[in-house]
Amino acid sequence: MGPGIQLRSTLSRSALGESNEQQLIYVLLEMSAQGLPTTLPKLPLNLCLVIDRSSSMRGERLMQVKEAAQRIVDQLSEEDYFGLVTFNDRAEVVVAAQRVRNKADLKRMIGSVEAAGGTEMATGLALALQEIQRPMLTRGVSRMLLLTDGRTYGDEGRCVEIARRAQSRGIGLTALGIGNEWNEDLLETMAARENSRTQYITSAQEIAHVFSDEVKRMHAVFAQEIALQVDVRPGGLLRSLDRVRPFIAPMPIAEEKERSWAATIGEWSGTEVQAFLLEVVVPAFSAGDHPLLRLQMTYSLPGMNLHQQRAEIVLRVAVRPADEVSYEVDATVKHWLERLVAYRLQASAWQHVEDGRLEEATRRLQMAGTRLFEAGEVDLARTVQEEATRLLRSGQTSAEGRKRIKYGTRGLVAGSENEREV
Amino acid sequence: MQRCPNCNVEQFDGTIFCADCGAGMQAVQRRETTTALNKASGSGSLPNVVEDTATITPVASDARMHQIVLVVINSGRRIEVDVRAAILVGRKDHTRGIFPDIDLGLDGGYDAGVSRKHAIISTRDGGYMLEDLASANGTFINGRKLAAQTPTALHNGDEVKFGTLILRYEEH
Repeated sequence: MGPGIQLRSTLSRSALGESNEQQLIYVLLEMSAQGLPTTLPKLPLNLCLVIDRSSSMRGERLMQVKEAAQRIVDQLSEEDYFGLVTFNDRAEVVVAAQRVRNKADLKRMIGSVEAAGGTEMATGLALALQEIQRPMLTRGVSRMLLLTDGRTYGDEGRCVEIARRAQSRGIGLTALGIGNEWNEDLLETMAARENSRTQYITSAQEIAHVFSDEVKRMHAVFAQEIALQVDVRPGGLLRSLDRVRPFIAPMPIAEEKERSWAATIGEWSGTEVQAFLLEVVVPAFSAGDHPLLRLQMTYSLPGMNLHQQRAEIVLRVAVRPADEVSYEVDATVKHWLERLVAYRLQASAWQHVEDGRLEEATRRLQMAGTRLFEAGEVDLARTVQEEATRLLRSGQTSAEGRKRIKYGTRGLVAGSENEREV
Repeated sequence: MQRCPNCNVEQFDGTIFCADCGAGMQAVQRRETTTALNKASGSGSLPNVVEDTATITPVASDARMHQIVLVVINSGRRIEVDVRAAILVGRKDHTRGIFPDIDLGLDGGYDAGVSRKHAIISTRDGGYMLEDLASANGTFINGRKLAAQTPTALHNGDEVKFGTLILRYEEH
């Protein structure tokens, strides 16, 4: 068999009871790379940093950012492009997008950045998008790496619009927030597309680590243009599709043809495990083995010049007389489902807070805490419970707690492992 | 279809967590029962114990009536229980064969002075009673210590303390 991506699926239950009603089953879908050379040629990287240099970044934060950016330069090679755009009340190109040839020069330019002024993110993003499109890349990974510590006022809509424009052209966005002042809804919205992600950096010392991880991740991208199609048999339904690894994120799905759902996954970095959770409504079945759905994936492996590749599995479900089946649930499926449910509960809690339904919001947070506790996320469960108590007592949530919970439930907080004692 | 024991909204059979409120739909399917407790006590002096109840079978519509929740304050864990008969609160001990329905060992119960067989929650006349089983460090409702072996009524919102472990009691 040639090299490629293989799909593996695990059902929440090994057999379903015979029923004249619809039932729900959960499917964990894992991707694995097969037969790929261990050292794939690295794809050229086209990276543009978009750095907030408003006055609140002064001191430790900007110093760490500059050091981290200089370290990125060290990680890049002549094949790669690097650019740096900074913004405060206005935006400027500090390093024009260029091949990484004279590292000392690039580092000197990075070192010249100073903090001052306000935060106008859209202008910075617009300039970065312009810059990142200058190199002609026939293949490779293009990414804008945004770091901010503050709120941008009045141009949130433009920020999202610029992010979408970039994403539609295959340019991903990594949006990093540091401190407690930035707008997590905005960053989440901007990054809610393929090839994009967002992360919460809790302390300045983490910046270098996060930057460097991001470059490693981009260098390890080996599959691109990954798309999934799910065909469900008549009477069934794909209720939801969510990414659960490497981080939790709902995936937009569309029923493009009758009972045929499509989702765009984007690129895959070899440093990460990819897994998805599907909620599938199963039609009424009599005892027997029934094909339930067909999962088809298309992708390209640009490093091997393989395009329009295909992987497919047909998922069958065993149906047995109701009194013969066990209700035992697969532990791995349950673990990821528990995390996903916690993520959904907190997301709906914030919605309830916004709509003024504080009691319902508190209930959702408490339930999210229960789910996290049972999934073994004790620290996060505690944070959630504290926030629920705060909400119940004062009718308020804290900016920090909210960020920790939003990013924590998705598995996107840098430095959380070092902060167990908190 | 089955109903969520927490919010009573209809869910597909096979649902693991309620799509509306996020509660576990299998919460009532307990593998650890207090059968060991009866053996240990050797007499009928203790109330009957909860037996395994299959969850996925449709839950009777009056299931809500039996639903109580204990929230462990320091961990935030919400323990949802269906009180059909009597529920043992304590700490799991494999070697002694003690498997309480509510195992507070998960919440730092040992350090907080929770006994293996600490207390029992039961129903009476539609309400709920808490009874201390002569535990080493006592059971408290709103700071008041309960006399051993004396069932005392619980009310929604009560603060319950097993040893020094604090829980909030909620009826749903």
